[in-house]
Amino acid sequence: MNVSHAPVSSLSAPNEQAERALSALWTRPPGLIGWLCSTNHKDIGRRYIVTAFIFFGLAGLLAAAMRIQLAFPENHFLGPDLYNQFFTVHGTTMMFLFAVPIMEGLGLYFVPLMVGTRNAAFPRLNAFGYYAFLAGGLLLWGGLLVNAGADAGWFAYTPLSGPDYSPGHRVDIWADMITLTEISALAGAVVTLTTVFKQRAPGMSLNRIPLFVWAQVVTSFMIIFAMPAVMLVSGYLAMDRLAHVNTHFFNAAEGGDSLLYQHLFWFFGHPEVYIIFIPATGMVSMIVETFSGRRVFGYPVMVLSLIATAFIGFGLWVHHMFATPIPLLGRSFFSAASMMIAIPSGIQIFCWIITLWTGRPRLRVPLLFVCGFILLFVLGGLTGVMLASVPLDLQMHDTYFVVAHFHYVLIGGAVFPLFGALYYWFPKWTGRMLNESLGKWNFWTLFAGFNLTFFPMHILGLHGMTRRIYTYVAETGWGNLNLLATIGAGIIGVSVLLFVINVAIALGRSAFTDANPWLAPSLEWATGSPPPAYNFYNLPSVSDAEPLWHSPEEKPVVVGLSTEKREVLNTTVIDAVPEHRYELATDSIWPLALAIVVGLTMTFVIFTPWAIPAGMFFSLIVLYAWFWRGNEPKFIVEAAKPKPQISAAQTSLAAQA
Amino acid sequence: MNTAVIDVSKLPAAVEDHTSPIWWGNLFMLFIETTMFALLVGTYFYLRMNFTNWPPVRSDVALYRTDPDLGFATANLLVLIASCVPMFIVDRACLRMDLRTVRLGMTAMVLIGLGTIALRFFEFSGLKFRWDDNAYSAVIWTVLGMHLLHLITGTAENLLMTLWVWLKGLDIRHARDVRVGAAYWYWIAGVWIPLYAIVYFGPRWL
Repeated sequence: MNVSHAPVSSLSAPNEQAERALSALWTRPPGLIGWLCSTNHKDIGRRYIVTAFIFFGLAGLLAAAMRIQLAFPENHFLGPDLYNQFFTVHGTTMMFLFAVPIMEGLGLYFVPLMVGTRNAAFPRLNAFGYYAFLAGGLLLWGGLLVNAGADAGWFAYTPLSGPDYSPGHRVDIWADMITLTEISALAGAVVTLTTVFKQRAPGMSLNRIPLFVWAQVVTSFMIIFAMPAVMLVSGYLAMDRLAHVNTHFFNAAEGGDSLLYQHLFWFFGHPEVYIIFIPATGMVSMIVETFSGRRVFGYPVMVLSLIATAFIGFGLWVHHMFATPIPLLGRSFFSAASMMIAIPSGIQIFCWIITLWTGRPRLRVPLLFVCGFILLFVLGGLTGVMLASVPLDLQMHDTYFVVAHFHYVLIGGAVFPLFGALYYWFPKWTGRMLNESLGKWNFWTLFAGFNLTFFPMHILGLHGMTRRIYTYVAETGWGNLNLLATIGAGIIGVSVLLFVINVAIALGRSAFTDANPWLAPSLEWATGSPPPAYNFYNLPSVSDAEPLWHSPEEKPVVVGLSTEKREVLNTTVIDAVPEHRYELATDSIWPLALAIVVGLTMTFVIFTPWAIPAGMFFSLIVLYAWFWRGNEPKFIVEAAKPKPQISAAQTSLAAQA
Repeated sequence: MNTAVIDVSKLPAAVEDHTSPIWWGNLFMLFIETTMFALLVGTYFYLRMNFTNWPPVRSDVALYRTDPDLGFATANLLVLIASCVPMFIVDRACLRMDLRTVRLGMTAMVLIGLGTIALRFFEFSGLKFRWDDNAYSAVIWTVLGMHLLHLITGTAENLLMTLWVWLKGLDIRHARDVRVGAAYWYWIAGVWIPLYAIVYFGPRWL
């Protein structure tokens, strides 16, 4: 191995002047307006991650409030109405505003770096995706603040969510929030796929793509085929509810069908679980590889497992509906498929264990989180196999056993790898390391708090405690285990606080200069930490799957891309042979403008169907401005012009770093 | 530092064909839209199971007289299929950078697009049900409406490119954009063939 801590010098600028010129070309304009106009994938990825983490904290506060309410029998901390809003907004936020966006955000930040290009494909679409996500989040939380928080569960089943049983606008807010966040997820998926298909470094054939990038590709395909279902079904729901439209998709009296809602929702909802979990497996693969110091065992099998998981993931949705009248054959098929999906996941687990076993593992904080993930995810997977069995599922349906199961797979399977990844990549974002011993405290408190909270829920479920109840009587005997779970939730809160403190302390310190502190093999570590705006001065080429472990300085570099336009190199889809050059769009205010129009449309459509034609009209105006080359509003151009003294200060700062 | 280099400065600065990223981006968008229509078709057949008569009986209309009208609908289908011919001529003209053909062909495409949008509104009136009558009418109105959104989007896109080629001429990037727009238009026409068959012949044959 020939690993260095410094950026690979053949990929860096030859002199300061050249660095400054390329940096000026790719850096966003200064000031607030420049910030709003940015189309750099690193800005956008970071915004997704930070915003999603804030939503994680807010939804965690709702969870804490629910745990306080349930700590004692017949408690009066939250009333039933507020409790309904809290568990609905908690679940909705965690799924739509935290888990999916943070996984996609990490992908949008790292995929272009890992495949060795300068920016993601379709930079303006990428910027629009973030703003649409933010609009969705503001809509949902704005609703909660004015006592219009969604209250029909994160899946909003009809007929409860229909016009007869949920008057008012709480469910409308939920349905329209779905549209906004799914537009965002779909935009991110298209950006990620095109970046990976067309912008890989020369030589990065399909069998040399880092596993994290493979995971993002598989996830993006799943998003493309799953998200339309939830947009459509939430659209049906909104139309059924909207005055003057009043369709009857789910109204049994007019031939509508509530089971149709469940089918379409879970056709999205089950793949959703894998949309969250598969990127996490990508993070685990990267961390395991780096910290065991060897190539991941069974790379082709790992990739095939991801693809198999994605395919089988679309054939499981009915296992959420075992308690509805569906044909016996259907139950058997979906029961078998639900057990089968354990196979590719199991293969991955064994490959990681073999990699660690045959490597020389260094037990740093990221790897610690991965070890926690392996243990907890196996536990969650086992209860999953149990719930795949129809007779058992009928007993456990809608009990806390299910709550325990999906928190084990989602927190164990996605949040633990996510924390590992945040520790792993923090130096890449900031040029600073997070504190190791505080990190260990963070891990152990999370591990202990998590198990204390959710393990007792298995038992509570077996004892018959149902989900979504705001209180229970003392005679049930559920009090002690619930109190235990609440104490555990408090420890999780402390753990997340430790993480935030760790980040704050690290940001307060001055930057270090190691580009590759973990001696990792993938290309994101070949450039500076944090990476320059243009990512690589000379684009890298690749001749193996671990470019930084095999004489990176001796590999040919790409030269000849424009230094006047934002140009990237396009390569062939399979073998990544250089094909042509491609000019990316510049920074622009129009993505934000479009997101505002779409966000207002989805807000007003709660009240009137005329919001749709009006929204289309204004969207088309904004889109025309967007596509008309070189058409930024004058005041934006003026405001974004660099002021000479600031610009000089910035370049001297850049030179120091 | 004497690393070997791969000099890409001689590679084309833009291309017009399916190797372009925008072509791929358009393809992925069409995956999304096709999935959505497939789910709409699934909804149609799922709701069909709840009805004895499809379309449902109406007290004020004799049985079997509630099938949707074929006239405007079939005319619109034929216009859409035929519109692929001028679109294809424009598509080919982009490869030759034949500005005159592109200008005239794109203008024709905008007019045809406006024509199909107008015909679609007549189609709605031939459905014999309001959208809020029952589940059957909800799904067929949604199929027609969703496809109408694509007709509007596709026509708006063609109008933008038409304005560009008349005002600014044709360069290789915009020729590529016209061609990607053409791929979208073929899809709009193509996807309507099975949807038309389901909406208009489903009630007659199911």
